[in-house]
Amino acid sequence: MNGIHDLGGMHGFGPIVCEKDEPVFHAEWERRTFGLLTATLALRRYNIDEFRHAIERMDPTGYLESSYYEHWLHAIETLLIEKGVITKQELTTRTAELAKGAS
Amino acid sequence: MLRPEQVEQAVKTGGSTRRPEAWITPRFKPGDIVRARNRNPVGHTRLARYARGKRGVIHQDHGVFVFPDTNAHGLGDKPQHVYSVRFEAQDLWGDPAPGPDAVYIDLWDDYLEPA
Repeated sequence: MNGIHDLGGMHGFGPIVCEKDEPVFHAEWERRTFGLLTATLALRRYNIDEFRHAIERMDPTGYLESSYYEHWLHAIETLLIEKGVITKQELTTRTAELAKGAS
Repeated sequence: MLRPEQVEQAVKTGGSTRRPEAWITPRFKPGDIVRARNRNPVGHTRLARYARGKRGVIHQDHGVFVFPDTNAHGLGDKPQHVYSVRFEAQDLWGDPAPGPDAVYIDLWDDYLEPA
């Protein structure tokens, strides 16, 4: 797809800055997101290629403004809703609960 | 379903889409000159935009794998050979490219045509 997520990348974003002693995850939610993909792929409701395509389908502006694991989370949410595992309403409700500090 | 004893491997390497049981005759062999097809699909592809229409040389045959372009859309596995293809930087990016550099790209059989 000729979306923003062409796997060849593109010029114009400046040098790649390597972080010294870069941790595997920068935040706990990134670790959870990594596990979420592995676990949901194992459910076989969607495959890795559908996952990559879900990232390609992101709004181009949103794609450029969000991080690597935000792309993952976006794709997981998109596919879980499209495949009927959760509803958009469930996601919205739960997100609001968590934002209020519920666990 | 992922069993507990499979978790460590799944996290370390991910699940492979290799299909060693699919006996498909490779269309190309190392040394063959090929051209990446100039295709601009609406759906998913693993063919980088900068390689489309460019000439390269088959470096290695990786074996048979699921085809992402169909697998991403519920259109089946369409297993086929994946090759490492060598492209000269000059061919990809023209004059500004550093002379002796080359890029090796893993490409599915359907992405290629003889050149």
